[in-house]
Amino acid sequence: MVKNITIFTTNTCGYCSMVKKYLGAKGMNYEEVNLDEHPQRQAEALELSGALTVPVTVVTKQDESKEVIIGYNLAKLAPAVA
Amino acid sequence: MSDKTSTPKHNVIVIGAGPAALTAAIYTTREDIETLLFERGVIGGLAAVTDKIDNYPGFPDGVEGLKLSEDLSKQAERFGAVIEPGEVTSIKDEGKLKRLETTSGEMLAKAVLIATGSDYKKINVPGEEEFYGRGVHYCATCDGAFYRDKKLAVVGGGNSAVQEAIFLTRFTSHIDLLVRSTIKASDVLQKELEEHVKKGQITVHLGTQTKKIIGKDKFVNKVIGYDVSKKKDVEFDVDGVFVFVGLEPNTQFVKDSKIKLDEVGFIKTDENLQTSIKGVFACGDVRSGATMQIASAAGEGATAALKIREYLEGRPHAPQN
Repeated sequence: MVKNITIFTTNTCGYCSMVKKYLGAKGMNYEEVNLDEHPQRQAEALELSGALTVPVTVVTKQDESKEVIIGYNLAKLAPAVA
Repeated sequence: MSDKTSTPKHNVIVIGAGPAALTAAIYTTREDIETLLFERGVIGGLAAVTDKIDNYPGFPDGVEGLKLSEDLSKQAERFGAVIEPGEVTSIKDEGKLKRLETTSGEMLAKAVLIATGSDYKKINVPGEEEFYGRGVHYCATCDGAFYRDKKLAVVGGGNSAVQEAIFLTRFTSHIDLLVRSTIKASDVLQKELEEHVKKGQITVHLGTQTKKIIGKDKFVNKVIGYDVSKKKDVEFDVDGVFVFVGLEPNTQFVKDSKIKLDEVGFIKTDENLQTSIKGVFACGDVRSGATMQIASAAGEGATAALKIREYLEGRPHAPQN
């Protein structure tokens, strides 16, 4: 069961739009952290994903476990938010 | 195998949702031809991850790739096109119907349009795979923001490499542009590049092959190149490398079908954009002979849609009104 979702994005990232569009179509709420507007939070995205890239989607479950999906990867994103 | 009566059946399935695919869908759906598109990646394809498109007609000041893609998508959806996130993994010819294996299950289509485009090629050097996402990147608009005030190498000398290098200057302290032979980008881009070279933001290294990508503490810290004229290795101390060295077609899913490919893997079509399977068409960057331009892709999408209409109406090669 999903508790909350955070997406790290940038203004120009097409794949970030796809993740938002997918979650929007599923009627799911999410918090967006735009790294162009909040560059100080890049380290947080890097620590969670281990990669210098966006989108990074962090799905927190009810038991506080986290699933981190790098990029627009439907094979991982869809089951994570199901 | 599923029964044809229970398998979902569509008039047209378009594989891909880039400019060629979306333009085709605008044309088919506007004529009430039910159309389903499959997109495994980003709607708009490579156009959506291109910072600015300056040569698409109708935009005197250029247009952001993402904006153009979103508008094309909205236009197609306005006429009823349905874009499904997912992938087609195989196509089988069953005469009047084509059977497609997709991530949403089996589907049948009266006509299929392959518009899967191309992706950036890899350079296949040591370190490229190991440091992917940790200093090796193929999408400047996605990952450039991680390199504020840092040093980068950009590999390539074509339009994409030069355009993306210019885009990355908004973040970086310096870029080394590693060009295997000479710059092949358009004159307009070369002039823009010169401005950034004059400002000291970009240094161009012609005749420099990229040999190896090296990292420290899990992240890239150096690129080794080979200076062809001096016949010696040259080191670039950088925090990351972006690679734009040409395109390879997204045709893996047709390798086991009867669809014929050219010697480098692009789909062969006839003058009606029909592939070697009747009723399966191809257009845009995935097609053998494509010019790899967004405007041409859109044009091919429109042509393909009209040819599909003729095919569905059973009147191939009819003159257009």
